Amino acid sequence: MTHLLAASQFGASHAVTITLAMSALLFTIGLVGFLVRRNMILMFLCTEIMFQAAALAFIAFGRMRMDTGGQIFVIFILTIAAAEAALALGLVILLFRRKETLSSEAWSELHE
Amino acid sequence: MPLLPFYIASAIAAFGLLYILRPSKPSLRRGGAVVALAGAGIFISEALRLAGPPSAGVPIALLIALVVIGLYAAVRVITHPRPVFAALYFIVTVVASAVIFLLLQAEFMAFALIIVYAGAILITYMFVLMLADQGPRDSIGHIDDDSDYDRVPREPMAAVLVGFILLGTLAAVVERIPSTAVLAESSLDQKVARQQSEALVMMPKYLLNIVKRGDASAVSVTVAPNAAIHGSIVQTQVTQADGTVKNIAVDAAGKIDNTQMVGLDLVARYPASLELAGIILLMAMFGAVVLARRQIEFGEDEARDAAGLRRIVLDVPDHERAAPGGRA
Repeated sequence: MTHLLAASQFGASHAVTITLAMSALLFTIGLVGFLVRRNMILMFLCTEIMFQAAALAFIAFGRMRMDTGGQIFVIFILTIAAAEAALALGLVILLFRRKETLSSEAWSELHE
Repeated sequence: MPLLPFYIASAIAAFGLLYILRPSKPSLRRGGAVVALAGAGIFISEALRLAGPPSAGVPIALLIALVVIGLYAAVRVITHPRPVFAALYFIVTVVASAVIFLLLQAEFMAFALIIVYAGAILITYMFVLMLADQGPRDSIGHIDDDSDYDRVPREPMAAVLVGFILLGTLAAVVERIPSTAVLAESSLDQKVARQQSEALVMMPKYLLNIVKRGDASAVSVTVAPNAAIHGSIVQTQVTQADGTVKNIAVDAAGKIDNTQMVGLDLVARYPASLELAGIILLMAMFGAVVLARRQIEFGEDEARDAAGLRRIVLDVPDHERAAPGGRA
């Protein structure tokens, strides 16, 4: 694989550009999803989409500079995503036990 | 104004997304999907146009197919009325981006992504989705999966507007990349060669194994003290079984793969971050345990028992005074 796609044979700028464009679109979809979804679990799933977009951008920039820093940062993104999933879902379970619904609007009186 | 096509593409994509999200006119959903896809296509093709004519050997078609699959699945995540299907579509997005990672030479991260995201995090989501009883039950007791809050989006107009503004801002970055990337490309081969030889110097056992492949009688190897690295060539001093010392030049090119580089840099360049990541995971584990603990409501008697106090007993006949509840 490494030889097949060695730096000189693979036009990195195209792949990097397409990946960054996908990253931008994916992050936007995640943000819109976070705003329009009313199910608390799916709102957190949309933050995972945004994490995914950030990871894509890191990999693309790392490939552009041939630097492992981008890939290593993705390892930390995975760590944070796992920690966030564990805590956020624990909180969602607690909230679900209180109101017996996953709708985030059940908690809208908090703003008063 | 080079950014104008990006803004137009963002506007088209936002318009299409709005019609996908609007639940009132289901017939328009398909049209919205086409419009959104067109917007995304214009966005990507404009970025490609700026990157210049594609060079030979670039799997552009494969890459674009993956992008389309990934984005389609992501849109399904935010529009699908059934939460479980939305979570499954997210796996498609994860797999599509994992293949893109492969194409960008991040092999280890590609598989780590599938294992951690599709394997661990998504399973947690599925557990919680199934644990939380979905929606109200209908007259014969079946669970109504399409609960209201999953079908009707909240403020789609405002959300799409925010997304459109964000996409327009991000377009400025995407537009600037091609010129920078082409500049970087010319010096990349030298940089990679130097990285590989430096990594080889940091792994003496691996270096000895490579030397042994060419010279089976080698016992130990040290890197020559000064000016040891020229491009991908590492000058070494090899001690053989009969005690003679020879100077051997080892070519590091292609000997160190991506995964080895990532592993080496992870512990050599970012050790503090690695420890910190471990602490974050530990704290998340504690937090999850504390959150998931169910609060049990004690009655008065059980609470006094748990605190080691005597139960409050009134008007008890003499022969029950010594009952077990009365321990001090």
